[in-house]
Amino acid sequence: MTRQTLVIVLGGGQGERLYPLTRDRAKPAVPFGGCYRIIDFTLSNCVNSGLRRVYVLTQYKSFSLDRHLRLAWTRFDEEIGEFIVPMPPQQRIGERWYLGTADAIFQNIYTLEQERPEYVLILAGDHIYKMDYLRMLSQHQATRADITVACVEVPIAEGPRFGVMTVDETMRTVGFEEKPANPKPLPGRPDLCLASMGIYAFTTHALVQLVTEDAKRDSTHDFGRDILPRVMRERPTYAYLFRDENRKAIKYWRDIGTLDAYYQANMDLVAVDPLFNLYDTDWPIRTNLKQQPPAKFVFDEAGGRRGTAVDSIVSQGCIIAGGNVARSVLSPGVRVEAQAHVEESILMDDVVVGPYAHVRRAIVDKGVVIPPHARVGSDLAADRKKFTVTDSGIVVIPKGVPRGEEFWRA
Amino acid sequence: MTTILVVEDDPNQCLLYANEIRSAGYDVITAHDGREALEVVEKARPDLVVMDVSMPGIDGIEAMSRMLAKDHKLPIILNTAYATYRESFRSWSADAYVVKSSDLTELKDTIKRVLESRSRPAAPAGA
Repeated sequence: MTRQTLVIVLGGGQGERLYPLTRDRAKPAVPFGGCYRIIDFTLSNCVNSGLRRVYVLTQYKSFSLDRHLRLAWTRFDEEIGEFIVPMPPQQRIGERWYLGTADAIFQNIYTLEQERPEYVLILAGDHIYKMDYLRMLSQHQATRADITVACVEVPIAEGPRFGVMTVDETMRTVGFEEKPANPKPLPGRPDLCLASMGIYAFTTHALVQLVTEDAKRDSTHDFGRDILPRVMRERPTYAYLFRDENRKAIKYWRDIGTLDAYYQANMDLVAVDPLFNLYDTDWPIRTNLKQQPPAKFVFDEAGGRRGTAVDSIVSQGCIIAGGNVARSVLSPGVRVEAQAHVEESILMDDVVVGPYAHVRRAIVDKGVVIPPHARVGSDLAADRKKFTVTDSGIVVIPKGVPRGEEFWRA
Repeated sequence: MTTILVVEDDPNQCLLYANEIRSAGYDVITAHDGREALEVVEKARPDLVVMDVSMPGIDGIEAMSRMLAKDHKLPIILNTAYATYRESFRSWSADAYVVKSSDLTELKDTIKRVLESRSRPAAPAGA
């Protein structure tokens, strides 16, 4: 079945709510968990599920994503029918970019025609989770469904954030509401409802019919909003209950839709027993790693400089030179200088935190140099004048902010 | 009156279709290849297009895609001697697919049906 399935990862969205991290890159290319990019989790799931025919539909600001795919995900051999390749809009059908998820598929119908897969698996490029897609495809095949929608149980209070499915005892879909005010609970579980993960398995024939029909309608051309509610009664549509390969008490699936969600998902990695486990050799997460020396921690002066990091992820090439790091995620090449303090923060590649600087509850984008004695996250009113500060008080420092101390003092 | 654009590269067939469709009570305009058809659609705004598929230059499926990109609601009937174009996913964007025959009853019935289904509000499109 893996060879009969074509995977299409939707990597296109503008990621406006992740601004300024998406100012210069597509959302799936945003660094995550120290050395990864967000899309690595979905692509690792593909490979771990044995699916190796993958197109990544790119659109906005795709340079960084293309580059990452080229560096990290090219170890496949097209000669034996295995590939992960980015696909920018071809404009085969009109001179426009993708209007919605269904339109993205419609505009690539020519590719489906060339590949002629039996099934098409449509994935989002901005989720953090571990999922064996083969289980979902097996159910799809066994039920002879046209459409299978991956779902996860969420507390009913969170239902209004999602597309909520209602199913009968065979998991056949009997209702679907996008962001309902009063979500319908699971049978026998009034405290839970079934949230769509935005992951779909389609029988190719049905998919082509559906997106072709949809293209002729006045709609937002979105699977969840337009197609599912319209067709789930006419066509065999089933929910697939997400089985988590993360193997913790609580199922882990995060849609990295907002800066706060991004921050929290990173923080989920640093606990002693992290919610999301990167260390499971049965479900490895792949990425591209630049050759860099191992992380180093220097200075151990009583009452003076001590280079320490606790409850943190510290990537290769980092030097903690007499500063302290706690509950933080450090990407490769970060330097934390003497008497600097970094707390509950995400520091991306090559960030420098100067001597005596304090950084707390912040996301610091690549290459930012925080000068000596600067303070980030201590006075949110002051931070708000220069930076984006999220609802939960996380300060986001974008790429390319001035290094000069006058900018940081002002 | 309802205007129908007939796109057909064979001049004799084009004349035949135009006459038959006209006698069924429609205004008929014609084009002889895909490129001309795209120009005529822009200028004359027909209510429905009867499109040959195999034509020199821009073929009927490509011309249909380009027309739908500009007006996604334009009704289009593919009218071809070959059933095999049905296998092309892109041909599924047509409102109907008619295999040419000497008897034009099916084509005329299809035109009527497509126009009627389009005049009903919220009619399901295509396929």
